[in-house]
Amino acid sequence: MNRILLAGLVRLAITLSVIAAVILAVLIPFALPHEHPGAVIAAFLLGPLSSLRHLGNVAEYATPIAFTGLAATIVFRSGLFNLGIESGVFLGGLAATTAALLLPSFGPFTPLVAIIAGAVVGSLSCIIPGELRLRWEAPEMVTSLVLNFAILYAGVFFLNYYLRDPAAGSLMSYRIPADAKLDRLLPGTRLNSGAIVALVACLAGGVWLYFTRSGLNLRIVGQGPVFASHLGLPSRRIIMQAQLVGGLIAGMAGAIQVLGLYPRFSWTQLPGLGWTGIIIAILARENPFYVVPAALFLGYLQVGGDFLARDIGIPSEVVGLVTAAIMLTVTATAIFQHPAVLRLIRRIRQAEGTR
Amino acid sequence: MTDLISIVTDPATFATVLRVMTPLLVAALGILISDRAGVFNLGMEGMMLTGALAGVLVSAWTGSAWLGLLAAIIAGGLIGALMAVAVNGLGANLIITGIAVNLAASSGTTLALFFATGDKGMSGALKSGVMPSLDLPFIEDIPGIGPLVSGHNVLTYAALLAVPLVSIMMARTPFGLRIRAVGVDPKAAATVGISVKLIQLQALILSGMLGGMAGAYLSMGYVSWFAQDMTAGRGFIAIAIEVMGMATAWGTLAATVVIAIAETSAITMQTFGLPNELMQMIPYVVPIIILTVWTARGRAKRAAHR
Amino acid sequence: MTDGRDDEERAAGPAPVVAFDSISKTYANGTVALRDVSFSVPARTIHAICGENGAGKSTLMKILFGLEEPTAGRILLNGQPVATATRDFAGRHGIGMVHQHFSLIPTLSVTENIILGHEPRTGLLIDRAAARAKVEALSRKYGLAIDPDAITGRLPVAAQQKVEILKALSRDTRILILDEPTAVLSPPEISELFSRLRDLRDHGITILFISHKLNEVRSLAESVTVLRAGQLAGAARLADVPDNMIMQMVMGRPVEITRRQPRRMTGEPLLALFGVGLASRDPADRLKGVDLAIHAGEIVGIAGVDGSGQRGLVSLLTGAARPTVGSIRFDGHDMAGASTARWRAKGMAHLPSDRFTQGGVPALTLIENAIAGTDGDKRFQRGPFLRRSAIGAAVERMVRDYSVRALSIGERLDSLSGGNVQKLIAARELATEPRFLIADQPTRGIDVAAAAFIHTRIVAAAERGAAVLLVTADLDELLRLSDRVVVMFAGQITAVLANEAQLTPERLGPYMLGLEGMP
Repeated sequence: MNRILLAGLVRLAITLSVIAAVILAVLIPFALPHEHPGAVIAAFLLGPLSSLRHLGNVAEYATPIAFTGLAATIVFRSGLFNLGIESGVFLGGLAATTAALLLPSFGPFTPLVAIIAGAVVGSLSCIIPGELRLRWEAPEMVTSLVLNFAILYAGVFFLNYYLRDPAAGSLMSYRIPADAKLDRLLPGTRLNSGAIVALVACLAGGVWLYFTRSGLNLRIVGQGPVFASHLGLPSRRIIMQAQLVGGLIAGMAGAIQVLGLYPRFSWTQLPGLGWTGIIIAILARENPFYVVPAALFLGYLQVGGDFLARDIGIPSEVVGLVTAAIMLTVTATAIFQHPAVLRLIRRIRQAEGTR
Repeated sequence: MTDLISIVTDPATFATVLRVMTPLLVAALGILISDRAGVFNLGMEGMMLTGALAGVLVSAWTGSAWLGLLAAIIAGGLIGALMAVAVNGLGANLIITGIAVNLAASSGTTLALFFATGDKGMSGALKSGVMPSLDLPFIEDIPGIGPLVSGHNVLTYAALLAVPLVSIMMARTPFGLRIRAVGVDPKAAATVGISVKLIQLQALILSGMLGGMAGAYLSMGYVSWFAQDMTAGRGFIAIAIEVMGMATAWGTLAATVVIAIAETSAITMQTFGLPNELMQMIPYVVPIIILTVWTARGRAKRAAHR
Repeated sequence: MTDGRDDEERAAGPAPVVAFDSISKTYANGTVALRDVSFSVPARTIHAICGENGAGKSTLMKILFGLEEPTAGRILLNGQPVATATRDFAGRHGIGMVHQHFSLIPTLSVTENIILGHEPRTGLLIDRAAARAKVEALSRKYGLAIDPDAITGRLPVAAQQKVEILKALSRDTRILILDEPTAVLSPPEISELFSRLRDLRDHGITILFISHKLNEVRSLAESVTVLRAGQLAGAARLADVPDNMIMQMVMGRPVEITRRQPRRMTGEPLLALFGVGLASRDPADRLKGVDLAIHAGEIVGIAGVDGSGQRGLVSLLTGAARPTVGSIRFDGHDMAGASTARWRAKGMAHLPSDRFTQGGVPALTLIENAIAGTDGDKRFQRGPFLRRSAIGAAVERMVRDYSVRALSIGERLDSLSGGNVQKLIAARELATEPRFLIADQPTRGIDVAAAAFIHTRIVAAAERGAAVLLVTADLDELLRLSDRVVVMFAGQITAVLANEAQLTPERLGPYMLGLEGMP
């Protein structure tokens, strides 16, 4: 087991150095025109670590994208490229708001009821493209891509006609009742109990995929569909199960985001958390256990970006550039499948293997 | 009801359909070329956005809308080249690369706009150019047809002209033949000495150039300014259109017409008091239905064949 | 090899068209495909290259065609050394190749396929008239009739092969390589092909013909080079050597089949097919009027040229397809159209022909591959959870019993060699003590020791009472293991023969080629 661990560490080290190189490569052009280029880099890299409150901000950013990263991981593991998570988040937030506003209070269980409502409604965004694919072979990547926008406009319609607070200045819902809101964990941040749910969900997702029979079957269906049919596994049911779970998690992400952070529901554009979830899933190599660190890392970048915007005056969008560059390099086979890297890893494994 | 008829027959309605069509058609043709070469361009949204900004910035600096257009096309082509290098050079995943391009373009255009104008949201402060409209000589004088056909944006004519051009390029030129070969079976194409990477690079550059042009139309024809994320998912609708058009130029034109009519009627219906947002759903729901019906029919046909 | 002969030829006339000089090829993963191979081919001859699967024939031809670079050694064309594996190497040197799996683009027309890469132009466009004229001229010149406008993928296989040959000839080709060209053809098509190839030789083209079928080599070629395990095993003019000598060069030993004592089964068969037909778009899947019975404890071997219906038969018996007509009974149950899950529940196990897509998941670990499909097995799971330690112990045992060589059972499946993958799959499939085992090309492409091991396990399964269906292209294996041999041709059964001493590959030949036994 040791040598496998060591070989894994080599990969991790390569990944981390690639990421570090990419961050510097993107940041330096922005830092150079500045009086103190070093201060720019330091603000970005060290700012998020400078206080407990900022670490809280990192976790706050990481919470919704840990959910969507987990959702993307589970959906992709089924072998479908279903992009419905993006609108699942939107729908989940909307449905949770609706439940909080229209249903009576359930006392301490009010947030739970709202989150369940959000998860169930949000799951439609993944179930529909999955069903269209399995039943009629409609390409799920394309249908889910456009369905995201269809759901967005349907949702904005619902918001405008049923939830809109005419007293508010712009298009937004009535105030979400206080008993539906999630508990804040750290003063001065919006970090809420949703973060704990996200952590538990990712661990549970990892246990599901790697420690249970149905998780193993899901990975077999996703990575070896022909083999799965030779085994006689019920592939359709397994794939739909993954779409359902992924959609539920996406909806939950939206619900927790809205109930945890916002006074009212006011999304009139897709929040983009689903796309970030895809990035997380890729960084985490589609392993739920790695989703948490990957989400924290992106949260860290985001807070670093906020520091740049606040202290230096460089818009935080620079984080998007960094993230895009990281996406390209961490999936690059030219780096990770490079013969020299493979040789090194093989040597490590075998050197210890022949002890 | 008479209102409705007068709207349908109004030349202005026709012009609206063309306005809606233009960016979608150009972008979908760009996706078509990449798709046929086996390098599906999911980054179209980002290419359009970059083209839209490049057009505004360069036309504002140079005072020439045409130079703005050129810059938009070059910017799109560069992103296409970058995608090809990422996929075939770095070995990055094609779909991931497309998503990364969209993310980078969304952030990058905001940053560039900020550094150019000090504003993150809109380019209102810039005096950017607009692509001219074209009055077709003689044709504009034909009663009935003239006012319908003449007087549209020059990029609209370019978009319509691009359909036969792309069709001929794919069917009748060596480049098109090689694209089709590479897209179906790259290994087999390589055995006759075709460089798969080169063809895919060229296809993605061309795809990007069309994407840049589509974006330039948005910011220098459809409207006359750049706004953050102004493409608003058009790059994704273009993907749906290309798939509906079964990756052929004429099919793409037909699918664009269907979507543009759906979107235009959505705009028109709003004047009758129907909810705006529900109408906005139409162009997104139509492709899902059409794609599902087609694939379902295709499957039924194959089943009958067995 | 025989330097003396090279000297002789040099003295006799111009330099040979192709000469291989000490070619070696070692792949990145350490596999040695070729070791110091040297021989030459005189101009305007048909030269055969023989050897078993994995002997290095294809690698050598890929090097000559410019697809692979040799690790060491040179290639000389017309006496001149040339740089290998450069871009468009084959096109520039007039080398054409007809691949075993065609390198045609199915969606393009015949003409488009032939001109691809060197299109005649008028201005920016393809000169369609010139292209069509060129194809027609080629087709006339070499007697290979074809419709230039047909969509290639819709043509029958033999016609596609003509397109492939025309394509190979379309670039001023002097050397034509054919890789197992007869595998996909029927006997009349084969003799048609051979006479076309002789015409080509008479037109001045040198032909390299890769085959492992001796009768074809003898009827077509003038000289032969034999490769064995990546090394040169011999070379000769065919007129000078008898068949068994070539056989000996190929096999490296006198050919003698040690078959097991065949058993005659009586009584009710465990599996019975009556009048089974399967309609399919792919002719290789079609079946017509198949009657087949396998008793418990019996190994029935299916012989036949590739694509004679074996795949269709296997898909019916694994639940992947439903018969169009006829009945399938297993152990008294009607199993026509039964699902894979139902077949498995009835005790079917399957060693599939494609190990990495049908037999396992390359990206998963040995453990995960070994317990795949054991849903509900109480030894391996408690409720929904997998029992990691029990599974680990069981898989360690499987790996030991089947001598699977791996660093650890936590490794990914694709870190194993083909033979070890097959042993692991066999371990998994046989762990269930199947009542019905389908072994589809069970030892294709794996090393001799692993193959022998798999053989003992298949026999052991039969002796435990399983009905075994063995589908194999390896006649040696077929005759070693089978109690009875069933020969298929064009989706039909042409013979059912007891595996007795007088049953030889030669006797099977006419049935496999459909010359005898067709209803």
